[in-house]
Amino acid sequence: MAESLPGPGGGLLDGYEPARGFDEAFEPDGSARGAYRRIVERFGELDSGELRRLERLVADEFRRQGITFTVYSDEEGTERIWPMDLFPRLIAAAEWDELDRGLTQRVTALNCFLEDLYAGEGAAIADGVVPRWLVVSSGGFERNAMGIPAPHGARCNVAGIDVVRDGDGRHRVLEDNLRNPSGISYVIENRAAMAKACSWLFYDHAAQPVDQYGRMLRSTLESMAPDGRSSPHVVVLTPGIFNSAYFEHAFLARSMGVELVEGRDLVVDDGTVYARTIEGLIAVDVIYRRVDDSFLDPVAFRPDSMLGVPGLLGALRAGTVTVCNAIGNGAADDKAVYPYVPDLIRYYLGDEPIIDNVPTYVMWDPDQRAEALGRLGELVAKPVGGSGGAGVLIGPQADEQELEAARAAIEADPRNWITQETVQLSSLPSFGGERLEPRHVDLRPFVLTGERTEVFPGGLTRVAMRRGSLIVNSSAGGGSKDTWVLAPEYS
Amino acid sequence: MILARHADALFWVGRYLERTEATVRCLDYAANSIIHLRPEEARVEIEQLVKTLGLESVAALAGSLEGRRQLFSFLLSDTGNPGSVLSAVGAVRQKLRSTRERIPIELWEEANGLYLRFREFGDSGLPSERLHEILLMVRRACLAISGVLNEGMRRDEGYAFIVVGRMIERSVFTVGLLVAGYTDPRGSMDATRMLRLTSSLQAYHRRHGHAPDPEGVVRYLLFATDLPRSLQSCLLRAEACLTDIGAGAGALDRSRRKAGLLRARLELGEIEEAMVQGPVPVLSTLHWDLAELASEIAVEVVPPLDFPTVRSQYLRPGEGSAGAGAAAGSASGGPGPRTGPALAAP
Repeated sequence: MAESLPGPGGGLLDGYEPARGFDEAFEPDGSARGAYRRIVERFGELDSGELRRLERLVADEFRRQGITFTVYSDEEGTERIWPMDLFPRLIAAAEWDELDRGLTQRVTALNCFLEDLYAGEGAAIADGVVPRWLVVSSGGFERNAMGIPAPHGARCNVAGIDVVRDGDGRHRVLEDNLRNPSGISYVIENRAAMAKACSWLFYDHAAQPVDQYGRMLRSTLESMAPDGRSSPHVVVLTPGIFNSAYFEHAFLARSMGVELVEGRDLVVDDGTVYARTIEGLIAVDVIYRRVDDSFLDPVAFRPDSMLGVPGLLGALRAGTVTVCNAIGNGAADDKAVYPYVPDLIRYYLGDEPIIDNVPTYVMWDPDQRAEALGRLGELVAKPVGGSGGAGVLIGPQADEQELEAARAAIEADPRNWITQETVQLSSLPSFGGERLEPRHVDLRPFVLTGERTEVFPGGLTRVAMRRGSLIVNSSAGGGSKDTWVLAPEYS
Repeated sequence: MILARHADALFWVGRYLERTEATVRCLDYAANSIIHLRPEEARVEIEQLVKTLGLESVAALAGSLEGRRQLFSFLLSDTGNPGSVLSAVGAVRQKLRSTRERIPIELWEEANGLYLRFREFGDSGLPSERLHEILLMVRRACLAISGVLNEGMRRDEGYAFIVVGRMIERSVFTVGLLVAGYTDPRGSMDATRMLRLTSSLQAYHRRHGHAPDPEGVVRYLLFATDLPRSLQSCLLRAEACLTDIGAGAGALDRSRRKAGLLRARLELGEIEEAMVQGPVPVLSTLHWDLAELASEIAVEVVPPLDFPTVRSQYLRPGEGSAGAGAAAGSASGGPGPRTGPALAAP
């Protein structure tokens, strides 16, 4: 274990003991890493009272603006103020360059796979890269999407790739989110709140701005218009104001300058989707939907859905509209397919993956299952259909009863479980009320694909709010941090 | 272009905002006047206020409103009363939330902030001893919201719908106030009270320079062109906004005609002439006509889907009639034929 650090002045870092694993801000010898040197100095000038005051400023700002998220299981109510820790995450230019290339490579390969699967010849399956039965048995695989090509072969227009750093400091992909990844609005609002509360922190860092996302997304979506239509009519489709991510849906529509529609605002006639306006029905070209596949069209999917648009799939099939992200992307971000993504990169791009997966074992394979069950106490077990940390078992933190229950669940339904080596997530100083203490973090960068693939600088850094906890999901009590990609001269 | 659902929501934002202001004015007046009245006089005053606000049926369900405390609670924080300040503020917030992407951020922040300040009082209700403080808080927030609307919002269809909603709600209140005044069981109309309840006392003094008389006040509240709260001013603004909304695509044509007819009846003296015979029937009919105008707008904004009739309106932005294309472009701000002239400020 590293030694306690001497406080650099204000006392907030007095006694800071890096957690197990990789500390993003400090070297093992206790000195600040290059990119963090100035930030550590500046935080060192603060005391806990001042940091608490700044935290209140930020919380008030979020509250006033209604920057909230919803916890459905919370009996207290639905909306909570978005939690943000003031100590930012810094990403040096060279490190970001590697992430940028690695994420572009990964999302490009995943788009190739999805287009091959739904609108191509299924070459990767035919060539044995991924087992056919595994793909078609995925809960995210959608037969209704077969034969519907996507403009530019881009089926995943907005991807959120969860990246962690292992104990050796190497980035690894923990999870791909190719359906409706959320969180980008919080990235931008975190920056706005930091700039208001702590503008002095930004001096001498030249962090890349984040307010261009709306323009980037609109340009990406416009490039997805059927037949290359110019000035296409783009809308954002939301389930409505009671959805947990409604704030984000409204934020995105506003920052793109397009309408935020609900299913009841759209109708399909004669194979074309129309928006109901006071002028009558106006044709829609591109729908950035934030409604899950199964709710999109009650004619094709869940008949009880009130959130979708009857006949939408027919319009999609007729080629009069593009739905972004495409239907059926869940086949590629299924956790059981995740172990094959490095092979998909090799298959489609002929390159070695720039960012590795976390070592993962598929439980449908009897040999891997037997080995994993034998040392489940060292591994993380995940149900492939879960999200938001639901159903995840962290072996080293589980008691014998929980391990036994997980073993039984895996044995009963091995297709729907994977196990992974436990990654000791990297940590960052975070304010614990009195001083800065290490907390584990991950990173969700966002990747946009239309005519080309672009990685949005930074991403959403999620942070576990309790010491030692590896759970960073906001729905499970996690928080967030502003994420800065630094210019080379400040890295 | 504006979605029918958004148009409907913003129309109601305007109505609820105006309702909030009207209820706050009534509460403010009541808080200052009732303390000087004997209990039986206070009861009559309370009944008159409830009648002015059109809340008799809701008040009957709420039970006895004989005391000051009950009246304040009913008008301020009773969530069972859709006309209470808390209900109206909550409705404004919810409607703005559902149209958040097309309104100025500051508009949402002000409305959300006001709602949250109300929520801080918790479930125990709003303390009546802090009534003045609370009313001041709401009045200031309403002024801030009006400021953002006037200075910060693009003059598009969304703005026009908010203004139409405000003007109709304001007209309904003014006419309701006059009807209640003419049927006041205390026998005579209190002209100063009418002016106070419409925030028009100072304007009246500046214009007429003498103590208000009932006949002069009624004429002022109905016909004054220098008073933004007069019925004529409200109908003029509503008609102008409806004309702007309809200029692109022929939408809301029936509503615009209805508003224009009402305004013309006022302007050309028909209402004034009829009131000589008996003001109450004329004002009651006017009250009814305003309610019909509001219903007409609601029907025209969200028409029932009738494919055979709407098929001829199918168009892609930039195609079809130039007017429709221009109107479609005016909201999206897109290039080429989708860009149209912004709606004129009413």
